Amino acid sequence: MRRREFIAGCSAAIAAMAGSKITGYSFSPYETNGAIFVYIFLRGGCDGLNLVAPVNDPNYIANRTSDVRVTDNGDGAGLQLNNGLAGLDFRLHQKAPELKELYDSNALAIIHAAGLTNGTRSHFDAMDIIERGSLTDKNLTEGWFTRYLNSTTSTDTNSLFSSMAVGTGIPVSFLGSEDTLAVNSINDYKLRGDTRYASILQSLYTGNTLLDEAAKNALNSIAEINKRIAKDASNNPVPYAPENGVKYPENALGKSLQTLAQVIKMDMGLQVASVDYGGWDTHEHQQYQFASLTEGLSKSLGAFYNDLSNYQSRLTVMVMSEFGRRLKSNKSNGTDHGHGNAMLVLGGNVKGGKMYGNWPGLDNEQLDNHVDLAVTTDYRTVLSEIIMRRLANPKLGYIFPGYKDYKPLNFLNGNDPKVDYSKAG
Amino acid sequence: MTLRKGFLNTFFPSLSSVNAPAPEIAALNRITYGPVPEEIEKVKKEGLASFIEEQLNPKETDNEKLSAKLSSATLQIRYAEKDGAAAVDESRPLNLLNASIEELWKLNNKEMMLNYQEKVRPLEEVRAASWLRAVYSKWQLREVMVEFWHNHFNVNASDQKIAIVFPVYDRDVIRKNSLGNFRAFLEDVAKSTAMLYYLDNFTSRASPANENYARELFELHTLGSDFYFNNLYNRWRDVPGALNGKPTGYIDEDVYEAARAFTGWTVADGQNLGKDKFPDTGQFYYYDGWHDNYQKRILGNEISPNQPALSDGHLALDLVAYHPATARHICKKLCIRFISDEPSEAVVNGAVKVWTQHQKSPDQIRQTMSYILNTKEFTSTWGKKVKRPFHLMASVFRTAQAELTPNQGLTGQLSQMGYYHYNWQTPTGHPDRMDYWLSSSNMLARWNLANGALSVNPNNRMATYNFISQMPAGMDKPADITNFWIEHILQKPMPAAFTETMISFLVNNGKADQPISQDKMNNKVSSLITLLTMTPDFQLI
Repeated sequence: MRRREFIAGCSAAIAAMAGSKITGYSFSPYETNGAIFVYIFLRGGCDGLNLVAPVNDPNYIANRTSDVRVTDNGDGAGLQLNNGLAGLDFRLHQKAPELKELYDSNALAIIHAAGLTNGTRSHFDAMDIIERGSLTDKNLTEGWFTRYLNSTTSTDTNSLFSSMAVGTGIPVSFLGSEDTLAVNSINDYKLRGDTRYASILQSLYTGNTLLDEAAKNALNSIAEINKRIAKDASNNPVPYAPENGVKYPENALGKSLQTLAQVIKMDMGLQVASVDYGGWDTHEHQQYQFASLTEGLSKSLGAFYNDLSNYQSRLTVMVMSEFGRRLKSNKSNGTDHGHGNAMLVLGGNVKGGKMYGNWPGLDNEQLDNHVDLAVTTDYRTVLSEIIMRRLANPKLGYIFPGYKDYKPLNFLNGNDPKVDYSKAG
Repeated sequence: MTLRKGFLNTFFPSLSSVNAPAPEIAALNRITYGPVPEEIEKVKKEGLASFIEEQLNPKETDNEKLSAKLSSATLQIRYAEKDGAAAVDESRPLNLLNASIEELWKLNNKEMMLNYQEKVRPLEEVRAASWLRAVYSKWQLREVMVEFWHNHFNVNASDQKIAIVFPVYDRDVIRKNSLGNFRAFLEDVAKSTAMLYYLDNFTSRASPANENYARELFELHTLGSDFYFNNLYNRWRDVPGALNGKPTGYIDEDVYEAARAFTGWTVADGQNLGKDKFPDTGQFYYYDGWHDNYQKRILGNEISPNQPALSDGHLALDLVAYHPATARHICKKLCIRFISDEPSEAVVNGAVKVWTQHQKSPDQIRQTMSYILNTKEFTSTWGKKVKRPFHLMASVFRTAQAELTPNQGLTGQLSQMGYYHYNWQTPTGHPDRMDYWLSSSNMLARWNLANGALSVNPNNRMATYNFISQMPAGMDKPADITNFWIEHILQKPMPAAFTETMISFLVNNGKADQPISQDKMNNKVSSLITLLTMTPDFQLI
């Protein structure tokens, strides 16, 4: 079903059922059991060779100063991972102990040498292609998430909001999706001033232009979220209290994931969400910025996963970036734009504690264009396994136009429905 | 589903006409940050073309209202006592807008141990001034252009060093060139301390060079990503036209070579290299010891080894500035800003022609703008865009004739709407697509904006208003008041049902013919205008 029809038709009259929690997920034919997929995008090109590194590879050692390299001992010593690729000693950056813990408890899988199978080294090109989901058509008017939402039959009909972007804006992956929520801070998500504004606005935005749809979506979501916010005796929102004594770190990702956890616990039928975490474009003096971002990533993911302990069986989190960075560091002690990269997948149905993919090696002739880690796993293959096994949508040909060689890496439990490569939604 | 939708539409009848205003009004809403009555009168009397011509030729000396505002404005600065330095809490004039880079650079002096607030003060003053200019400058189009170029040559002034030199970037780079020549503009940007820090070129030395600036120079500042052919070609000679020195686009090899051309383009930041010590002025500085002096090939053009200082970089700038892809990229971007998210090929082609004809003229950008603003498409495409948040907010202040006292809180208000006032993180600048500004979170913030900004409560630190003085003397009937403000703010006739709704909102359970008393007038009008700014008719442009 096309989501917008439902929302446009029901938003105003939905009051009777709204406020109740969405608990049934019995909609067929595909069963998702309320799966929730969180897509974390590290904007700027995260240096995967500084996050998950083959520490003793002689090419790795020769091409990088120790400041931008994970080592097996000394100041930069990394956290050793079992079940690495190609028999190499892979280690996480030392600022990622929470990730190490999740990996060791089999909740986290790492896929290396993955990414976009297109030669671009441009951030904005790479992100655009990844998020529109087509290697060839730059002018697609919809993002891949939007096509997923348009084609999925597994959303519960009672779902109020099946998709959300955390932050003020909507990323390209949701381009053309008129009912995706953008929420930055739950407790500020309300219309201020005269109480009559809402109903008048409702009568002002009744058309079907982009602006009208945006306005309807905003009005609808403001009403629904405000019904569900925890309030004190005088009807003021109370600060969010995470479960299990979790404290989210004070960084951008920590704040975003806390907002997302709040929305997930409102049980409004959320199915897919995107979260951005920027600042990874480390062209100079990488060591400081990278360490602090990695610490932020690790602590935030750890907090989020523990806060949602009751949702872990439904939750899958994927972390990716637009590309990795150059094997050889530059004279500014940074790294320039590269190619292949590491991806992380976390969740209750992940066969974690293991690295996946095909390690291409770092010899000069093994590198992409003689400079960068090659891509041996298409990012769409990783996403497709999640879409197929967790979100039960087989329409890969529609979601990723032109994609036709899905070979699962098997990092997830579950079975694949019969894959559908047809272009039609 | 359709049945239900139809039912709801009768239940909540559509009140908005969302019809275009007169073409002149539509144009004024794009040339200015919301037209004031004098501008509307002027266009009615002298015609739009003459107004455009005048706006394209701003005269510094003829801007009294703004000059007075800038010289009387103050901005709070406040910080606690720290490390023996005294606490400060004062209203200070905007002293740094005209400061030289040497003066500003003193704020960077480590021995002075200045408080962080003192270091970001130059940025805060430019922000405050940008509000005063948008709201009060006679030369509205120039301010709109300055905003366009700040976004095109985006830097993120969250970096303290960029905050310190920001008045120079705003004044001597962006403002100076906003209607000038693109090649000259590009060189001023390349040598600006702000950009050298932002895209890391200040650290770039042989070898390997730091590619950050060179890459964005091609992709964002000049040719654009539509002409990045790295996925198609691995070798420079394979790009069509490259063997004749006229490649149709660029690949990574061009980026690598251009990065080499800019090695040694750095900042006089006082660093001590042992054998050499840089001056400590904050100015652009060329350090030959870091330059890669050997031969290069950029866009199919060879550069011989051992050229004079700066010559490699200057040549690289020539090659990108005069490339046909650059003309298309920039002209299309201007058309997207001023016309619609999808301007016609015809209007883009027309702009490209003018741009290229004038590529050596000192007023290349003015000539191109004159073409774009005089096309029929410019006045006939109202409603194809929404106001950008800075524009939306400035237009709220202008339409309500605010006595504006800009403060740091305005920056936060803008960020709620997805607009980062000189601190957008990536070198792309903000997207210029309607849907970006319309996420549910941004939409909500766009509605909430006027509730604070137009408040007549004394707690409103942004602005004060006198609505009564703007209305005809003695006007006190709700219908008259409503009609007056609808006309004033939306500048077009609205359907009767819309007006009725606004009247009943204004009287709020009272009687529609009951006069509104003077002591309640400002409050009542404030709520009414707030609502009018929330309508699609005010949000669209």
